[in-house]
Amino acid sequence: MKGLGLIFILLCCSFYIFGQPYTDYIGAGHSKGIIVTSSSNQERTDWTYLASGDKTLSGNGLEGKLSEAARFLTQAAFGANEKEIAYAAEKGLGPWIDEQFTLPLHDYYASSEAYVEYLKNYYLGQGVDSSEISFTPNWTHWRYAYWNNTVYGKDQLRQRIAFALSQILVISDESIGAADALAGYYNLLSKNAFGNYRDLLLEVALNPTMGNYLSHLNNPREIPDENIHPDQNFAREIMQLFSIGLFQLNNDGSKILDSNGKQIPTYNNDQIAELAKVFTGLGIGAVQPEMGDLYFGRGIYGSDMRVPMIMYEDWHQQGPKVLLNGFTIPNGQTGMKDIEDAIDMLFNHPSCPPFISRQLIQRFVKSNPSPAYIQRVTNTFINDGNGVRGNLQAVIKAILMDPEARDCATLSDPTGGKLSEPTIRQSRFFKNIGILHQSDIFINHSNYYTELTGQHPLSAPSVFNFFTTDYAPYGEISDMGLVGPEFQILNSLSIIYYPNLIKSAIFYENIVENWEDGPFNSFSNASQLFAFAKDEEVLINKIDMLFTQGNMSTFTRSIIKEAIQTFPPTLNGLTEKIKLALYLTLISPEYVVEK
Amino acid sequence: MSKYIQQRRNFLKNAGMVCAGLSTSASSIFQLKNLAAMSAQNLTNASDYKALVCVYLGGGADSFNMLIPRGQSEYTEYQNTRSNLAIQRDQLLSINPLNTSGVEYGLHPMMPNIQQMFNQGEAAWLTNIGTLVNPVSKIQYQNGSVPLPLGLYSHSDQSNQWLTASPGERSIKGWAGKISDLLYDMNTEQKISMNISFAGSNIFQKSERNVEFSVNNRGAVTLDGYGDMYNSGPALTSAIDKMLGHNYNDPYKNTYKNLFRTSLDSAIRFNEIIDKTTPITTPFPDDYMAEHFKMIAKVISAREKLGFKRQIFFVEVGGWDHHDDLLNEQNYQLMKLDMAMGAFNNALKEINMIDDVVTFSMSEFGRTLTSNGDGTDHAWGGNVFAFGGPVKGNNLFGTFPSLAMDSSLDVGNGSLIPTTANDLYFAELALWFGVPPSELHTVLPNLHNFYAQGSTNSPIGFLNF
Repeated sequence: MKGLGLIFILLCCSFYIFGQPYTDYIGAGHSKGIIVTSSSNQERTDWTYLASGDKTLSGNGLEGKLSEAARFLTQAAFGANEKEIAYAAEKGLGPWIDEQFTLPLHDYYASSEAYVEYLKNYYLGQGVDSSEISFTPNWTHWRYAYWNNTVYGKDQLRQRIAFALSQILVISDESIGAADALAGYYNLLSKNAFGNYRDLLLEVALNPTMGNYLSHLNNPREIPDENIHPDQNFAREIMQLFSIGLFQLNNDGSKILDSNGKQIPTYNNDQIAELAKVFTGLGIGAVQPEMGDLYFGRGIYGSDMRVPMIMYEDWHQQGPKVLLNGFTIPNGQTGMKDIEDAIDMLFNHPSCPPFISRQLIQRFVKSNPSPAYIQRVTNTFINDGNGVRGNLQAVIKAILMDPEARDCATLSDPTGGKLSEPTIRQSRFFKNIGILHQSDIFINHSNYYTELTGQHPLSAPSVFNFFTTDYAPYGEISDMGLVGPEFQILNSLSIIYYPNLIKSAIFYENIVENWEDGPFNSFSNASQLFAFAKDEEVLINKIDMLFTQGNMSTFTRSIIKEAIQTFPPTLNGLTEKIKLALYLTLISPEYVVEK
Repeated sequence: MSKYIQQRRNFLKNAGMVCAGLSTSASSIFQLKNLAAMSAQNLTNASDYKALVCVYLGGGADSFNMLIPRGQSEYTEYQNTRSNLAIQRDQLLSINPLNTSGVEYGLHPMMPNIQQMFNQGEAAWLTNIGTLVNPVSKIQYQNGSVPLPLGLYSHSDQSNQWLTASPGERSIKGWAGKISDLLYDMNTEQKISMNISFAGSNIFQKSERNVEFSVNNRGAVTLDGYGDMYNSGPALTSAIDKMLGHNYNDPYKNTYKNLFRTSLDSAIRFNEIIDKTTPITTPFPDDYMAEHFKMIAKVISAREKLGFKRQIFFVEVGGWDHHDDLLNEQNYQLMKLDMAMGAFNNALKEINMIDDVVTFSMSEFGRTLTSNGDGTDHAWGGNVFAFGGPVKGNNLFGTFPSLAMDSSLDVGNGSLIPTTANDLYFAELALWFGVPPSELHTVLPNLHNFYAQGSTNSPIGFLNF
């Protein structure tokens, strides 16, 4: 504890030297002119990362562990408040992940139904005519459920994986608006987020919402007399987007080249036609009460979209199917066995581990992972250490605990990090600042925010997601040969709408959105910052820890400080200081880019 | 070097070579750029202006209920096939194309403005147009001997292909974006994109070099509070200027702040000019979609102050996926569309720009001719319209198909194989707009299956240029 003692003395000296009557805590940023020689060598066995040099005195360094936990929770969670940051810092990041694995599964459909029930009772109590009330959950209620669990659910890691998977295994509310379809699909992703990729791929292939989206629901075998061929839509996408990609990959994510230096396609059109035969005969698996019978060809209306599709053998294509690399599904199997074999073939394809691993790294940590990083994660995908392939718990731990994700050096690496996705920026704001409710319930669908910024979970404009994994915006990023997928939805409107929405939220308390008619507004808990606002540096330190993980640059600190210094320390002035500091932080490159 | 930069350099090089004979001092980059721009215009008057306005009917419009045969035998075929969705013959708005040997047609009763424009020689229809990789017959379609567009009948794929002109692959570059990469230097305004969108980010206008400039009915979106003289305005403005003027030594942060700065400056400049532009006095319907076209007319009338010689506007009009309640829905949708088109045509006359603007419709597919009860399902070929001074109006281009069931084009439920590739439609628009013939196949990678490189014929012949 010698080091800490020395710092304390030095800080006391600084108070004395500058003669300022500070009453706040040690290390609140008053480090001008002081040189520290000891703290960088100081060891704390329970701290993963060390405070050092100037940062120690500015206050950040003393909170190095908190800072690292805050950064980790930007990757592994949807943001975090102070308590959650402290909890992760105390527990350690590895143990935090392990604990997440044990948390129970959230049911988004039940939650959607609970919202319907709550609102129904409220409206009936208000004397609203029952004809004007929703009795079954729709996409709005699914979104209420989504945002509620994002902000309040403890199962943050599972949710982040589900969100990432929803951007690989894409369905969209543009094609279906029922909550059993949307929440049901998210339940599927959440359940398998801590499972095995093989099981996930199979469940996705059998999910009726996916079947409806990529048209292998009610896809009949070939009927030569009527010129009917199996629909190839799903067969193509499960290969191109959900499992192996267009070109054969090395384990480090690079493309395998043939002797002429050309990329090698993973499949051709004939193989798509063969795989299309596998995905025939699937129809609706369950019907809602009193909504008719089950039969092949039954549409989605009145069907229970939470129940997997079932095989209608009469409509399944008989005969062998010659798939990739000579793998042949034999004649005479059941339709379901055909599908399982095809899924196994894709899951065991050598391109599957690097194809999925790279995309998951992009969603959690950085747009441009090094080949070595991809290779390390791929190796874990291939074998979790116990001989199991596709273990997503092992894969996610490998992604988040990799040196390239954790080392502080990556903060200054220009290729490190990524543009924060719009919905993640939104959830980080909600979680970091905290939300106060007018009633006892959080009702938000973020419809306007997500329309204007271009992203809401399960709302992609196409099966190609909101952005593609190789999108490179013209300019510095493309010049460096890097990619920046999230920039694909940043345009001259969305880049200005975002700060305008943030301004509206911070200055006018337009925090949440819903279309309910009742006391269901919510407000940010920015008043928690009031106690710190009289000293700009203290306020900025606080905001820095909450929003920029204690890594706000000297430059950004200085412009925020300069801006808020213009307000007097009156009640109104302090409020303005907080608002402007929050606004500038949230639109700054340092918040919008996750390093 | 990226493929794009290579192509662009080749283009500039070629342009420089072409013009070397005309000029003896083409040495500086600046001059080279101007020469490239001149070359790109096919050496037409450097002061000219051209705009393309794309009206995208999202969802797959049932366009065989928009353009309908009126001759007795053809109408009977139509009526038999469409059964409960057929529009009564005496309700059709008659048009008499000059080039159909006297065969009469009619328009949906909610399209009086388009009818009037057609009859006055200002508008044309193109029939049974659609996505094609190669020409394909019904037999070839059935035996799979000819490659077909990816994901036929799928919204996402078919709209993607109308917007990217790449029916054989899934492309992320739109044909308007590619045109803007080629002709970019013609505009003296270099910050505001040639591509202006009323549909936000879209693949049609996605270019290697620029993002589309997205606006709404009031103009561009500026930053709330920026430039305000009261409350936190001055402090906020000064802080943002510093924030966006800083080099962060980080490609992600710099890309964000650069786009932020550019968008903010462009929006302020755009709005300053637009706000000072003489308002359009032509009456427009009080409708959100129609107001897009009012703003387009205003932007066109401000073209010189804005520094534009070439512009491509993109408007998406959604809500055409009429699986149900087709007749009622189409009445409403077509009424709105027709009123907007009529007002826009009048506004272009008001600002005296009718000869410099081509407005054209697209939709991802036509719909099945047969009814599914009270609606129709996804199909393939459909009808589109175009209007403006350069359009050879009062004509019907392409081959109007038989609407009888099981015709030689019917591949099921009255889903028709297109008889004109949409690539040809795009090619003609691109050539009129000023894309050099030598670059046409770069913009439209599948065109070679329908139109030979170096051909001097019009791809379709519906435009004068």
